[in-house]
Amino acid sequence: MNCPSSSGGGAASVAAGGGRARSSATSVSVSGKRIQKDMMEFNINPPADCAAGPKGDSLYQWIATIIGPPELPYEGGIFFLDITFPPEYPFKPPKVVFKTRIYHCNVDSAGNPGLNILKDGWSPALTISKVLLAIRSIFTDPDPRNPLVPGIAHLYLTDRAKHDEVAAEWTMRFASLAA
Amino acid sequence: MVSDSIVNGPAPAILKDFAKKKRSNRTAKLKQCKLDARREQWLSQVKNKGCKEESNGEGVSPPPYLRQNDERKRSLNKLETRTRGEENERSSFRDSDLESLENSPSGSILGANDSRKDRPGSSSGSSRSSSSGGCYSGSVSEEEEDDGCLDDWEAVADALAADDKRHQPNSKPPAEPKTPVGLTDSHEPPSKTYGAESLKPECHGTNSRVAANSLAWSPDDACRPQSLPNLSKLHSFTMNTEGHCGRGAVIWACRSIISPPSSCPICFEDLDLTDSSFLPCSCGFRLCLFCHKRILEADGRCPGCRKQYDPSIGDMGVNGVVLPIRLARSCSMVFLSVLLLSCINSVSDWFKDSFSFLGKFVKELMLLRHDGHGSGWKVYETGRSIKYRVNL
Repeated sequence: MNCPSSSGGGAASVAAGGGRARSSATSVSVSGKRIQKDMMEFNINPPADCAAGPKGDSLYQWIATIIGPPELPYEGGIFFLDITFPPEYPFKPPKVVFKTRIYHCNVDSAGNPGLNILKDGWSPALTISKVLLAIRSIFTDPDPRNPLVPGIAHLYLTDRAKHDEVAAEWTMRFASLAA
Repeated sequence: MVSDSIVNGPAPAILKDFAKKKRSNRTAKLKQCKLDARREQWLSQVKNKGCKEESNGEGVSPPPYLRQNDERKRSLNKLETRTRGEENERSSFRDSDLESLENSPSGSILGANDSRKDRPGSSSGSSRSSSSGGCYSGSVSEEEEDDGCLDDWEAVADALAADDKRHQPNSKPPAEPKTPVGLTDSHEPPSKTYGAESLKPECHGTNSRVAANSLAWSPDDACRPQSLPNLSKLHSFTMNTEGHCGRGAVIWACRSIISPPSSCPICFEDLDLTDSSFLPCSCGFRLCLFCHKRILEADGRCPGCRKQYDPSIGDMGVNGVVLPIRLARSCSMVFLSVLLLSCINSVSDWFKDSFSFLGKFVKELMLLRHDGHGSGWKVYETGRSIKYRVNL
């Protein structure tokens, strides 16, 4: 008689505590489970040229790398990104920041990529694989009409060769393994 | 023939006890050591049947197409001389020539006796021993079929022609005591196999025989009858692990039709019945009610197509409003009983907490009962909170 009561009492007290802080507790568990699923999906089927994983013990801090796709000025570069998952993930988008400097009209000087899906266009159905795929796609298809750095976008539209030359130089300087 | 089996008598007697011991151990469908155990069963039966050769001739029902031979003994003798004379090429010989005797129990006994006799012989050489090994395993499978014939007599009898009926009354009594005690249950799968094969002799080929060598019946055996209760139980047991073929695939397909995604693509929690019947958006993107509510609280756009959710669909989506209520009630019973238990034994701080919580909880329940058919979200939310607490 004692055993079930004590265990039941513990459950009840936890339940009561959980009732007070329910919203945050459940959201954290939901996001944790979801991030783990994202990680499994990513490991099973990683996007091309991409690698990602938790930085340390926390599931919510990830580090990712994207290798510059071939036949582009970013070829040969390894670009590091920090991914921070909010506790509200997947209802809020993860925060992705380039840690490697990149000459790109859609990445500002702080490393924030101008990706719509990381802002208003976020959908909870998106996973980290799709996010990294989208980030990789801005290497191959820059969007100079919605630039974060208008100067680079202007150069891209007016003098593509010059733009590629500068981008390749930046890649050599900041993103290559020797650097 | 008879003398051979009698000479081999004492060793199988020991093995028989061992086999019995083993059999008691593997009440739950053990597959490892199956071949070993079957060999021992076979050995014990070889002894028994060898001693009762006379009754065995009539005791076991041959397949319909073997019935043409009225003189069983004669065919046996013919077989014996053949197998003895051409032992060296017997593996191929057996496969091609003795296939018609596949279902013949006495044929299997013959082959088994021969192979057993061959084994001690050192002069047989590698080719002999390998051929006898093949023959041996073949006879094991035949033995299983033979055994099935003994156990599942009704099933076999149904399939047999009318002229076979005269064998039935004679053969059943000697057939029963031949089976060692406790062997019947362990031999049911093979018996079913035999029933299947005797029902559909055209399916009985090398494939099923090869499968029977190791498994007695294979899960994907096309010849296996679909309406055997015992078999279906075993079948579902095996198909749980490998859901590729046969009835497992059907079950799987049905399940996938009923509930397309098994878990919510947002939170990866399992979708229950209410969630599965919940289609909030015309694009067909399914998600659980919790995530849907969460999204409605924020921007309220479908994750699949990014269109704004139609609020009316959201309310209509909870058409299974009865289910959450039932869930809430059953969970509340569990929870109340837990609380009552704790009330009886001790009063402490946590009890106060839980009691105040209980007050809120009961209020929610009352609300649920009073306007249980109100807005679906409130009802489901109540059920959810209860579920969460019980889970904790």
